[in-house]
Amino acid sequence: MALYAGIDVGGTFTDFALMDDVTGEIRLGKTLTSADDPSRAVLEGLATVVRQAGREPSELAHVVHATTIATNTVIQRRGATTALLTTQGFRDVLLIGRQRRFELYDNTIGKPATLIPRELCFEAEERLFWDGSVHVPLNEDSVRDAARRMREAGVATVAVCFLHSYLNPEHERRAAEVIVEAAPDLVVTLSSDVSPVYREYERASTTALNAYVIPAVNEYIGRVEDGLDDLRGNRTLFIMQSNGGIASGEQVRRNAIRIIESGPAAGVLTAARYTKAAGTDDILSFDMGGTTAKVCLIEDGKPSLTGSYEVDTINLKKNSGLPLNIPAIDLVEIGSGGGSIASVEMGAIHVGPQSAGSSPGPICYGLGGDRPTVTDANLVLGYLNPDYFLGGEMKLDLEAARAGIEEHIAKPLNISVMEAAWGIIEVVTTQMAQAARAISIGKGRDPRNFAVVPFGGAGPLHGAHLCRLLGGNRLVFPKGAGVESAIGLLQADPAFDLARTSMLRIEPSTLPAINALFEDLHKQAALDLEACGVPGERIFQASCDMRFVGQGYEITVDLPEGPYGPDDIDKLRRAFLTAYAAGYGERSFDPDAEIEGVLWRISATIKGKRIAVPELLKGDGSGAKAVKGERLAYFGEWAEARPCKVYDRYSFAAEDEIKGPAIIEERESTIVLPPDSAARMDADGNVVATV
Amino acid sequence: MDARSKIDPVTFSVIWGGLVSASAEMGITLTRTAYSSAVREGTDFSTGMFDADGNMVSQGDYSPGHLGSMAFTVKKMLEYYPADTLEEGDAVICNDPGIGSGHLPDVFMVSPIFFEKTLIGYAVNIAHQIDIGGSGAGSQVVHGVLDNYQEGIRFLPTKLYHRGEPDETIFRIIGANVRVPEVIGDIRAQYIANQAGATRMQALAKAYGIPVLRQSMRELIERSAEQMRAAIRQLKQGTYHFEDYLDDVGPDTEPVFAKVAVTIADGHVTVDWTGSGPQREAGLNAYLAYTNAYSLASVKSITLPLLPQNAGVISTISTTAPVGCFFNPRRPAPCGGRATVSHRIYETIMGALAQAAPDKVIAANSHFFNPNIGIADPRNDRMSIVWESIIGGVGARYGADGVEALASPWNGTNMPAELQEINCPILVEKLEVIEDSAGAGKWRGGCGMRKDMRMLAPNGNFYNLGDRHKFTPYGLEGGKPGKLGATILNPGSKDEKPLHSKGNYRLTDGDVVSWRTAGAGGYGNPLERDPEAVLKDVASGFVSVEGARVDYGVVVSGKPLAIDADATAKLRKERELAEVAS
Repeated sequence: MALYAGIDVGGTFTDFALMDDVTGEIRLGKTLTSADDPSRAVLEGLATVVRQAGREPSELAHVVHATTIATNTVIQRRGATTALLTTQGFRDVLLIGRQRRFELYDNTIGKPATLIPRELCFEAEERLFWDGSVHVPLNEDSVRDAARRMREAGVATVAVCFLHSYLNPEHERRAAEVIVEAAPDLVVTLSSDVSPVYREYERASTTALNAYVIPAVNEYIGRVEDGLDDLRGNRTLFIMQSNGGIASGEQVRRNAIRIIESGPAAGVLTAARYTKAAGTDDILSFDMGGTTAKVCLIEDGKPSLTGSYEVDTINLKKNSGLPLNIPAIDLVEIGSGGGSIASVEMGAIHVGPQSAGSSPGPICYGLGGDRPTVTDANLVLGYLNPDYFLGGEMKLDLEAARAGIEEHIAKPLNISVMEAAWGIIEVVTTQMAQAARAISIGKGRDPRNFAVVPFGGAGPLHGAHLCRLLGGNRLVFPKGAGVESAIGLLQADPAFDLARTSMLRIEPSTLPAINALFEDLHKQAALDLEACGVPGERIFQASCDMRFVGQGYEITVDLPEGPYGPDDIDKLRRAFLTAYAAGYGERSFDPDAEIEGVLWRISATIKGKRIAVPELLKGDGSGAKAVKGERLAYFGEWAEARPCKVYDRYSFAAEDEIKGPAIIEERESTIVLPPDSAARMDADGNVVATV
Repeated sequence: MDARSKIDPVTFSVIWGGLVSASAEMGITLTRTAYSSAVREGTDFSTGMFDADGNMVSQGDYSPGHLGSMAFTVKKMLEYYPADTLEEGDAVICNDPGIGSGHLPDVFMVSPIFFEKTLIGYAVNIAHQIDIGGSGAGSQVVHGVLDNYQEGIRFLPTKLYHRGEPDETIFRIIGANVRVPEVIGDIRAQYIANQAGATRMQALAKAYGIPVLRQSMRELIERSAEQMRAAIRQLKQGTYHFEDYLDDVGPDTEPVFAKVAVTIADGHVTVDWTGSGPQREAGLNAYLAYTNAYSLASVKSITLPLLPQNAGVISTISTTAPVGCFFNPRRPAPCGGRATVSHRIYETIMGALAQAAPDKVIAANSHFFNPNIGIADPRNDRMSIVWESIIGGVGARYGADGVEALASPWNGTNMPAELQEINCPILVEKLEVIEDSAGAGKWRGGCGMRKDMRMLAPNGNFYNLGDRHKFTPYGLEGGKPGKLGATILNPGSKDEKPLHSKGNYRLTDGDVVSWRTAGAGGYGNPLERDPEAVLKDVASGFVSVEGARVDYGVVVSGKPLAIDADATAKLRKERELAEVAS
């Protein structure tokens, strides 16, 4: 018998999930995050939850951690002094970026501060051609001179990004050797290691981010590992990466940027576990908290990954942040949360992106908030229980919420308070549906075919509504939605997503190059997996970002296992054409057009053992035992509020079936089932709804 | 709320959001399916939704030049194809400069949207085609182009899709008249994008019914107009004048005089170009729709920049110019390079608006280059077009320096060097901001941008397109103008020579073209600039030690660099006295 621990650090709370690998019994814990040094709450909280379970820290076999250390280092600009070394003529690559405005007409917009000041951007004399061949050989003296100046300037870490190095890393590698000879203390990150993908700005930005966060991430992991060593005499630690796979502390030390989306990835990964409950492998993960909502598509049971996203954006606007082009779970984050403020503009209701956050918070918290929020609307509509928020830890002021909505929304629009509250919910949920639709259209997928898995404090309140707006009809409300991410960490597997750019047409003459590329990626991925030291089946999936020759954007297509022979050309072509047709229609292309692959990828994972979770017992099927009472609630299709049944989530039995409208309360969240919907409890304790 | 309204506010809110997001979804679809670098990397396209009467109700956030001129397109298209001749799945294209957005490469596509056999609206998008034929690759040649017929193939409104079926004859005509096949792929992508918009509007009709959708669209327009009128009333009322110049319209030609009178009165802004120079025999004239588009952009940016744009917003701003003027030319005036005029339209109005709202305007921007080079690629024996956008800095404003390296007032992106080198036989040798180029000021302008490109194949046909090589970008409230831009052939070699901002040149293997945009204008007296800010600029290499002394009266010396406070005080005092004296 051994213990598995999942630890998720959030802005307010650090969540713990502890599981016995034999009985499957899970124990949850929560402690306040220690913002000055998050490792303190992690270690102290872990010891506490283990002891509360009546166990010993020495029984901890497997600790998986999701951390915000990398993100916070970037957002707060607390990274080490970093330098850039790039090709002659390109020292401004980070300053210039792609130059696109994220607001068209607003002349007050700016750009995010670069991580590396211009005076620490250096040039090396070298140049490669478009195909990786050498135009100007590397002048090592130019590198040595730059390294010396970096040392003088107190630089701790350096990003090296040369043009076309994704095709030929030799100059970058030699430059690293020269730098280390000249300045042995400098930590060097090469763009050809971190992200061998084309487009120099995005690659340089990724490399700079890695260099920038390495010292902070190393120090943090070191602290947690030392603490674990003290606690249980064993320092093995796994960290959740942005791609939803875990990696060892040692691996993360080298590729620190891979953990920048560690926390959100953990949540999505958890949602991906509900395919069985949903009865489909296509899931829309919907995580709604106090200030933002995050949406992610899970296709065929796998969270979809993106090769390009941004950190430190301004108002979550696209093109406003620092881009990264390493594989990460493809989340769209929008400024719609429980604390989002509602207002009236031009006779229409607007919600967000301003948020009351947790302080002053919604009006109903009674902490000084005086602008109506989404949470206030949920309370007024009867969805939230004023006496059972956070399990009753916090009383909500219904009258104040009602007065606020009346003053700011209902009166200006000359409608009833209920209609105004409903309007707030309708508008905010529509915004989230639009974000979900944009992400699925961008990937060429139909959002109607996805089952919605809502979590986070506010997700279950809006999930059914969102699902309807998307034209879908199926949802799974997982058990323990409030600490979802920590539970997800318990069963996360190691996973590595490697990618490399090389433009190759799908035709017999390129097959040797394609095979060689995949062999290379495969070898590297296998090494990464081995380094985790975890038993289980190794699984490799090849895929490629493909397009018609001449097109500028690609779609990611899973490919059959290689190596490929001339007979496989048709299979490779068909894989792309099928995916393209699914997204943009059968008639949107010429089926004989030439196709090329641009970004070649390998996803490698280890399927670990799955621990069975204890099943719920069966009851009489009516759910009657779970009825807590009744209260008035309002839905848009009604003229007035009507009595709705309120259920206690913890009192359901397996296979209980109930009909909407209904409200199901649990400690961390509340599920709203609208009229003309139905829900069933499955044996794992999930609420499976049809809307 | 509006007492006349019969629509409940919740429905109105949702429909509004739905229409705005429909335009955005069209843009996502277009980027994902297009072929050319102009669309896919340069995002040179725009999208919009219209009601059944042809009034624009929403737009995606793309290019102001397109967005402003799009508003009138559907109504003009309807003159050729009345609504009762349109069927589901039809699509009409048009690239006439007068009807569209002012030059032939911009191809409009209008798709009627039906729900249960009733016409409910139109989905429209415009994509800048990388080539549309005519005298030079990229179809934006300025010099030597005497009329619009030399600039490429022109379509008055023409039905390209009938009930979902493409008219392959017309596609064949287009294919035969353009230099690169990507154009066909991009036009097909435009069709797919409009279908995405249609699907969203149909979903709104299904959810709320056609009458409610129609009424909501009408009210959206009316309420937007009211909102804009209220914002315009907040401005200082009056008539404001400003003048500026475009360098010229090609080698050995005279400048173009831009003169504007902006009248703010009674919730309406009128922009009058009377007194500006006449139309010219060069591919640069700004058709009225285009002039109007950037007039709109400038007024919007100082009133309600975040308000979604639609016919209501547009109705509060009108543009007038005498027929035959450079800003309202008669057909068939040539216009391929008119993108470069966008800055001058915007900035001339901005200069006038500075008198009404000095704390909301920006000084003149760097100006950008938008040249094309047609060059056969020896690697694959195909014609390739280097489509460039070289973007400098933004003008300073009250309280803030101009932003470095950001598009303004148009929107676009630069081209990654790695991609350009894969697609075309060229080598990018330099991309960097230019020291001491920014207009000095209490708040300084953004720096100019330099890009050097070497040809790796012979026989490149280079059509330059830039400006501010002769007339500097102005500063405001005592701020200095930015330094002039330049185009240099083979810099640093014995063959070095300056090129004209709108000249046509034959390049050979090994030639280097070096584009240098102007710096953007400053705001406020540079002698009042915080010396610490000047020191920081010197440390970062935006300003030289000499520049600090000359432009700001700040003496920086030593290692590490520091401000010599006494010398600075003395120098600034002298400079102030000298200014008073002069």
